[in-house]
Amino acid sequence: MAEALILDSEAVNALAHAGQRGVLAERARAILTVAHQNAALVRIPSVVLAEMCRGARYDSAINHLLVSRGIGVSDITRSIAQQAGHLLARAKLTSEHAIDAFVVATALQFASVVIATGDPRDIRRLAAPFRAVHVFAL
Amino acid sequence: MGQPAEKLSVSVPGEVARALRRRVGARGLSGFVARAIRHELEREQLGAFLAEMEQDLGPVSKSALSKARRAWPKR
Repeated sequence: MAEALILDSEAVNALAHAGQRGVLAERARAILTVAHQNAALVRIPSVVLAEMCRGARYDSAINHLLVSRGIGVSDITRSIAQQAGHLLARAKLTSEHAIDAFVVATALQFASVVIATGDPRDIRRLAAPFRAVHVFAL
Repeated sequence: MGQPAEKLSVSVPGEVARALRRRVGARGLSGFVARAIRHELEREQLGAFLAEMEQDLGPVSKSALSKARRAWPKR
C-alpha cells in the first residue's frame, strides 16, 4: 500500500480558501508540497465533505479543489465504518467524534500516512496505537 | 458502479514487464497498471496545483516546509 496524506476539514478549508487563510494555508501548502515530493496519495475522507458542504455558495471552492488538483475523495466502506466504531470504543470516545474516527480509519488503509488536521488532540488520541499514522497539526 | 473499462495497448521494457508479472501475476495486471497510471496523473495534477498556488500566493516559507518535512515519516 502507498504512502498518503489525509486532509481533515480544516486542511481542506485552508487549501480551498488559501488566499484568505494565512498561516493555516501556508502550513497546509507545506505538507501538501512534502506529500508531492514523496509521491504520496492525497485523500479526503468523504465524510469530511459533510462537515463542509452547506450549499452552492460554500461548495464551489471545495468542488474546485476536487477537480483535477490531484486530490481524491476516499469513500467510506463498510470495513472502514466498522473500524471507526472500534477506534471510538478503544479511545473511549462517543459518536460525537465519529468524523475524526472515520478520518483515522481511512488513514489506516495506507501503509504509512500523515493526517493534516486543525484539531490534533482527538485525532492523536484515536491514532495513538498505530505507529504508521502520523499527525500534522496545522 | 464502476466505469466501463477501455483496452490500452502499451509497450514497456522487458525487465519492467517481468517484474510486474512477478509482483501481481497475470490476473492483477490491469488493476495494478490502472492504479499506477491514476497515481501518476494525480501527482502531475498536484504539482500543477502547487505551482498555481505559488504563483498566486508566493512561495511557502522555509520554516513551514522544514516543519512539514520533520512531520513526514522517514523511510
